[in-house]
Amino acid sequence: MKRIPIDKAVPGQVLAEKLTRHDGVLLAGQGAEITEGLLRMLVRLNIDTVVIEEDESRTTQEVMDDFQKKVDDLEARFVRVAESPVLMALKKTMLYMAQRERDETLALMEKPPAVVEAHEEVPGAAGTEA
Amino acid sequence: MANQQQQQVQDRLQVKREVRKIKNLPTVPGIVAKISRMVENPETSAAEVGRLISQDQVLSAKVLRMANSAFFGMSRKISSISQALVILGFEVVKGLVLTSSVFDMIQKSMAGLWEHSIGCAAASGAVATLLGRDDAEEILVAGLLHDLGKVVLALNLPEEMRLIMAKVSSGDVLFYEAENQLLDFDHSELGQWLAEHWNLPESLAEPMRLHHRPEKAVLKPECTAIVHIADIIIRAKGFGNAGDMLVPPISMAAWEMLGLRKTDFLPILETLEPKLASLCDITSIS
Repeated sequence: MKRIPIDKAVPGQVLAEKLTRHDGVLLAGQGAEITEGLLRMLVRLNIDTVVIEEDESRTTQEVMDDFQKKVDDLEARFVRVAESPVLMALKKTMLYMAQRERDETLALMEKPPAVVEAHEEVPGAAGTEA
Repeated sequence: MANQQQQQVQDRLQVKREVRKIKNLPTVPGIVAKISRMVENPETSAAEVGRLISQDQVLSAKVLRMANSAFFGMSRKISSISQALVILGFEVVKGLVLTSSVFDMIQKSMAGLWEHSIGCAAASGAVATLLGRDDAEEILVAGLLHDLGKVVLALNLPEEMRLIMAKVSSGDVLFYEAENQLLDFDHSELGQWLAEHWNLPESLAEPMRLHHRPEKAVLKPECTAIVHIADIIIRAKGFGNAGDMLVPPISMAAWEMLGLRKTDFLPILETLEPKLASLCDITSIS
C-alpha cells in the first residue's frame, strides 16, 4: 500500500485503509473504490492524503530501479562519513532493510525475479562488533 | 580564483554587518508564556491549564492531532486537552502547544524543515524508547524543536540564507559548516538565543544549542545526545530537508554515553519506518 496526496488519487483506485474525517467519522471503508464523488467530498473536507493499494502493474524492472535509486541516494548521503564504523553500520542496516523490502515486493509479485541477491548480514548480528 | 576569494571575503563582511539586524526575535507565543506562568504555580490544576488551551479551538485541534498521531502511539484516542495533560504531562503538552504555535513559521522558513523536524522527533522517540527512558515523550518534543534556530535565520536574514543555501548546493558542505564559514555562528547559537528569550526549559534549550556538539552538554546530556543521534538517523533516511542532504559526523562521546550498539539501529529503524509513513498526516495541519 502507498500513501498518496489527494491530487494524485484517481477514480478506480482501491483504498488500502479505511478513510475517516479529521474527527474520526468514517467516510469510506478499506477496499472501497475511489469515485469522483468521494474525491470531491475529500477535497471539501480538507483531507490531503489517501492510502491506496499498490499498483499491481509495477514491473520487476521498476522495483529493481527503485531499489537502485535508494542505494545511490544512501551512497551520496554517507559520502562524508565513510571513516566512521558506527555510521557505516547505520548505512549497512539501511541497505539491508532496502534489500528486504525489495525482496518482499518481488515475492508478492507472482513472477519470480531473474536475480535476487542474498540478504546481506545484519551488521553486528553475530555479536562480534561493539 | 583571486577574484572568487575576494568575493567570498566581501560576502562575509556583508553578512557580518547584516547580523546586527536581528534585533527582534519572534515573540514567545502568548499562550505558551501564560501556560508557563500557570505551571509555575503549584496551585494550578490540569483542568485549569486545559481550559486555557481549549479557549483557542484551532490550537487545541492541532495539539490533539499531534497527541493522537503516531508519535505517541496511544491505544486510546485522547479527546480533550485536559486528558492530554494527564496522559502526556505538562511539559509535553506545553511543547506541543509551542510547536503548534510556531508551525506556520517553520513551514514558511524552509521547504522540508517541518518534515525534518517531525522526523527527528519520531527518531528521538524511537531511540529514547529503545533505551527505556521514561521521559521519551519530552525527548521527542526536544527533537521536534531542535532546529528552531534555522527558522530565526530564514525569517530574519533571508539574503544570508540564500548565500548559505548556495554554498551548500555547490558541494559537500553541511548546512552548519556553511553557516560558520559565512556568518561565524550557526543556527544552534540562534536557537540558544531564542530559547533564552522564550525562557524554554533546559530539556528543549540544550538540544537546540548543542545537537551538533552533544559532548558539551552538562544539564541534559542524555536528551541532547539522543537528539544528536536522531538527527543523524533521520538525515540518513533522507526524510525532509535540514538544508543539506548529508549525514553529519557522529559524536562518539554521545554514542558511548548512551551505551548504544550497532545492532540497535535495526530495531530503531523498524520502529521509525511505519511512524514516518503515518506522520505525513500531521504535516498537513494548517
